[in-house]
Amino acid sequence: MAYKERMGDGRLIEMSKEEIRRDIEAGCNNAAERGKIPALSEDAQERLLDILTSPERVASVEPENTVVFSTDNGCHSLYGNFSEAGGVGIPIDSVTANMLMERALGFDSVFYGWLDFCFKAAKAVITQHQQELESILMNTVSPCIYGAMPNLGGYYKPDGPFDNVGDLMAEGKIMEGMEVYERLVDHAKEDIVWVSEQLTRVGIDCINIDTTGAAGDGDFLSSLKACEELKKQTGLSIEMGMASEFVMGIHGGLEYDGNVLAGMYPHKQVKMAEKAGVDIFGPVVNTNTRQSTPWNIARAITFTKECSRVANIPLHPNMGMGVGGLPMAEMPPVDAVTKASKAMVELAGVDGI
Amino acid sequence: MSNEKLLETIQESIVKVDRDTAFQTVESALAQGMQAIEVIEKGLSPGMQKVGDLFERGELFLPQVMMAADLMTRIVQSLQDKMPPEQNTKNQGVVVIGTVEGDVHDIGKNIVKILLSVNGFEVHDLGRDALLNKFVEKAKEVNANIVASSALMTGTMQSQGDLEKLLKEAGIRDRVKTMVGGAPCTQYWADKIGANAYAENASEAVSKARELMAAR
Repeated sequence: MAYKERMGDGRLIEMSKEEIRRDIEAGCNNAAERGKIPALSEDAQERLLDILTSPERVASVEPENTVVFSTDNGCHSLYGNFSEAGGVGIPIDSVTANMLMERALGFDSVFYGWLDFCFKAAKAVITQHQQELESILMNTVSPCIYGAMPNLGGYYKPDGPFDNVGDLMAEGKIMEGMEVYERLVDHAKEDIVWVSEQLTRVGIDCINIDTTGAAGDGDFLSSLKACEELKKQTGLSIEMGMASEFVMGIHGGLEYDGNVLAGMYPHKQVKMAEKAGVDIFGPVVNTNTRQSTPWNIARAITFTKECSRVANIPLHPNMGMGVGGLPMAEMPPVDAVTKASKAMVELAGVDGI
Repeated sequence: MSNEKLLETIQESIVKVDRDTAFQTVESALAQGMQAIEVIEKGLSPGMQKVGDLFERGELFLPQVMMAADLMTRIVQSLQDKMPPEQNTKNQGVVVIGTVEGDVHDIGKNIVKILLSVNGFEVHDLGRDALLNKFVEKAKEVNANIVASSALMTGTMQSQGDLEKLLKEAGIRDRVKTMVGGAPCTQYWADKIGANAYAENASEAVSKARELMAAR
């Protein structure tokens, strides 16, 4: 019998049960080898096989397994008209969009973020943010999360004062590049802290520092240091979502709490986040577009399960376009999304998504 | 030491950026009768490809990649004089590479550039957020053999398809080969837009570039 599955780029394919089983095992083993962590047990792999071969287009969980959602995009997908968010471009404002998300769609949290989505850019429009957030907060009940990226790349010329570290290193100026990168960290940290402090003045419930580590180990370090400071000064709730399954070593020697950050996989990343005071951690596992969705989902669950095992804070793994085992497609297919989410909850034991 | 062991040591010395061992082992290999081209193709190149692979697994970091590339470049330069002209590893081909307009991700593209360069390709890098007409202009200017584009977002990868059209409109599509790469790209995408090759990572970009040149 042939089962409809998908490739990592979202294309529909057909696979036999045995092929799916083999891909699940291979995905697990790939994660185990990369992260030096245990693979999923045979029972877990068989359960995953059951979930992925079920005929339903939309999967769900049993009542006792329901989890909450937090988001790094939220209402943008209603009024945003840009491809990466799968936006539908409905001409409404952010207040109305959030009310829709909460009242009509039952979201567990409401959201606000600048379309540029980075803390540095948010500085220029902070008063607009405060006004809009105040309106959102007065018209909704659910916790309100503000999302933005550290985005160390935004500090390179011409957007910022620093020479591009990658360019410096490519020119052979390796030590100079590393020194510039070290200086970036505190700049980004200051901006994260300042923007977050301004938003606490209007009563924001939580900051989502999103795509942490996208610009490498310094990006991760700036976020961790910002969390520490925000916790001491404001007590603000903080969600940290990663950008990649391992922290890219642009510097290679940056440390937090005596640990080298470069090369860390989710089960190590979460311990740094805990140390910094993060309240919710969102690990990321990248999708390989050359592999099937069963391979990718098995791999994502293997990494996330180990992260969940060692974590002392709630985990909300990132699941969406190209992450969490889901296809790299602007609108990830509902069958893949729901089956992967069900498997992630049941098998990785996560607290939310 | 056997030739195999010498080559293995050369590979490892590139990965570890062990300059002294690298140069000494290369000298030993030559003294033992190995050809310079063999040292490059079976020792240095595989070592550098392993560096690229380890970076993409998070086991090596950017400074190490850059230092390894620098070491390999220096060794290759020192070997150029010892090779007969027909074996000269320079001019494996001329490549124009860039991250397409609207996209500022360039780390992966930079690693590809490095590996292509150390493997003898003449690489012209347009940087990030490169306008599509710049790809065409540069390809004409340097008489490129390969035009390679990188895109990291589904929103920007469409530009790779637009680039194919622009190359056709400029009348040079028949004489260049195109290669695409980046996280959302797949072989299916390359086939869909009519690109000649897709490379999943930097190491594969080198082997695909060589295949494209061999097929000319």
